[in-house]
Amino acid sequence: MSTPTAPYSMYRPKEGLGPWEHRGKVAAVGIGHSPTARRWDGRPEHSVGGISLMALRRAIEDAGVAADQIDGLVMDPVTTTGAYWPQGKPIPNDMLAVFKATDDPLDGIAKLSADWILNNMPELTNVRFTMYGPGCMSNAICVAAQAVGDGLTHTCLVLKSWHNFAGRYYQGGANAGNAIPGSAALRALWGTPACYGTALQFAEYCRKYGKHHDMMAPFIENSRNNGLKFPEGYWAQHRPEQITAEDYKAARWIAKPANLFDNDLPIMVSAAYLYTTAERARDMTQKPVYILNHALSDGRPRSLTPTLDEVEAETARTARKIYEGAGICAADLSFENMYDGFPQFHQFHIEGLGYRGLQFGDALDFYQGDIGIHGPNPILPSGGNIGCGRSRFWMHTDCIQQLQGRAGARQVTGVKPEVAVSGGPMPLGGHFTVWSATPD
Amino acid sequence: MAKQGVVPDDLTRPFWEAANDERLVIQNCAVCNRLQHPPARRCHQCGSNAHLEWKQMCGRATVYNYGVVHDCPIRLLQEDQPFNVAVVMLEEDPGIQMYSHLPGTPVDAVPVGARVEVIFEATANGQKVPEWRVVHSAGSNR
Amino acid sequence: MILISFDIDGTLVVGDPPGILEVDLVRAAKNQGLLVGSCSDRPISAQRALWKQHGIEVDFTVSKHMLADVKAQFEAAVYYHVGDREDLDKRPAERAGFEFLWPHEALEMPWLSRGSCGAATKQR
Repeated sequence: MSTPTAPYSMYRPKEGLGPWEHRGKVAAVGIGHSPTARRWDGRPEHSVGGISLMALRRAIEDAGVAADQIDGLVMDPVTTTGAYWPQGKPIPNDMLAVFKATDDPLDGIAKLSADWILNNMPELTNVRFTMYGPGCMSNAICVAAQAVGDGLTHTCLVLKSWHNFAGRYYQGGANAGNAIPGSAALRALWGTPACYGTALQFAEYCRKYGKHHDMMAPFIENSRNNGLKFPEGYWAQHRPEQITAEDYKAARWIAKPANLFDNDLPIMVSAAYLYTTAERARDMTQKPVYILNHALSDGRPRSLTPTLDEVEAETARTARKIYEGAGICAADLSFENMYDGFPQFHQFHIEGLGYRGLQFGDALDFYQGDIGIHGPNPILPSGGNIGCGRSRFWMHTDCIQQLQGRAGARQVTGVKPEVAVSGGPMPLGGHFTVWSATPD
Repeated sequence: MAKQGVVPDDLTRPFWEAANDERLVIQNCAVCNRLQHPPARRCHQCGSNAHLEWKQMCGRATVYNYGVVHDCPIRLLQEDQPFNVAVVMLEEDPGIQMYSHLPGTPVDAVPVGARVEVIFEATANGQKVPEWRVVHSAGSNR
Repeated sequence: MILISFDIDGTLVVGDPPGILEVDLVRAAKNQGLLVGSCSDRPISAQRALWKQHGIEVDFTVSKHMLADVKAQFEAAVYYHVGDREDLDKRPAERAGFEFLWPHEALEMPWLSRGSCGAATKQR
């Protein structure tokens, strides 16, 4: 089956589009997560393909539908942001023995196609619609919501998976070589790590508003606290370590003013959701969580790296799109679950949203107050990437679970969980979803 | 600092050839009279590829922002950690940025807002690359 | 006096990933009178919790970039750091004036494998 990448027409990139035409008519119901691991241990069932099958089957079971009722699959074929399969390293024979491969030997190991999934889930006998929403779950769920709303699929699995191999992230490939192509060199020659761009924006933010790095400590503590209450997360499963303010302030710099704990930990993990129509969702096992809107930020910087002015203009524009399509305003948000990988741009997202009345420059002061899950102003109750490891989807799972009332120890209690927003990754360039406990 | 070598590609060859002549050129749309960097196949404003040209810059700029890299992904640069990576804004158009290690400026002592001038450094394969150096006013002891 | 700093992840068996050095080796080094501690990317509070869990009273727990501080704080004839990474252990250790040992090299050191060492901890 040939799987296209979602066309631009499926997204909502502009202001002035009015309420989303499928507002409240699409719902997320089932959730499936694989266990997490720091790196692939070489066992086929723990490969990125193997854990994806586990997540998908758990989502189907969680929703309480039969596999043959699934007619759609939306996913991201890219499973890394920086871990490379060493050139020339043979594919493990076990992998070939256990799974039905595609033409690409790295499929299921360092990437993932819809064909690989369908080859290895023979129970999915009625999938007629497949589509790629590349980048992260934030994209894939917007594509799935639009596809279900448009009637392209009625009962659709949405999948995002991550692989990680031995060695340090970003240290292989061209970064290890002695020469690089001219286009890449315009940025890469200076050796900036991934967090550098965000660190720059954060530095400008601190200069402009009179803030400083250590004011991020309560946010980091809160994120890890919440993440340790997320049983699906890496830190909860493997290393239940708090990050105290002292720990945060003592960490080494990666790209000052971003330190080690301003960065997330690459892991292997997969998550799947089951999306369907609001009507069909009523008969499923879990309480439906309705999609009120999805929105795209496709702003781009004028030059090498976004300026603070560009960031603030774009997050404000994104917020207007989010609210307009959902027919809500900032005051309607029970909580927020905007992306945090990197934590130093989380404040851009929530200031753009005007969450709890925040204006530009306010968030770091806001972090010094009660931002916990039991207070009136929850910040990132999922714990995000800092709390759970790099996946870019904890915030979506958390929104669904919170609105379903099954977030367990993480359940917000200081607010009634009715409407939430999640999305990312970047302040310039991301996909956002508005979730609701009711269809209207 | 030992930067990786550069293999010019079609899109960026004029930039790198000019650098070897110790000239700084930036892509410009002649119709929009608008610079863009990094270069692209089309003008980001009008969408046309018919009027893209390379325009020589005066080689003066201002330090806009900086970070200090302590954990670099590029193997060749790891020996030099920690090091500055500044963003400079060109005098012709402050919207156009370039990166710089700011040779001669102590680590984490980058003067934001200071004037800088272009210099050219050889990379590992001999290709030259624009770099920037802080311009000190008369009487400065730095 | 010998001071020895242990990386955790990739170095000790309790690391993530596990290394080859048993925690009992750290305990033995401590019992022999060496100055012993950890220098890791783990949060300092997590390092302390780990040593408490294993009943070892270490002399220091620091982040990866703080070996120079350790050297300034403790007087020793020789300072070692044991780790598994060229970029995150060996290079910063040598910059801080430590001798660096890979885990398998540490196993061959007499003071770790069977050991004898000087007097009690002396803090500056």
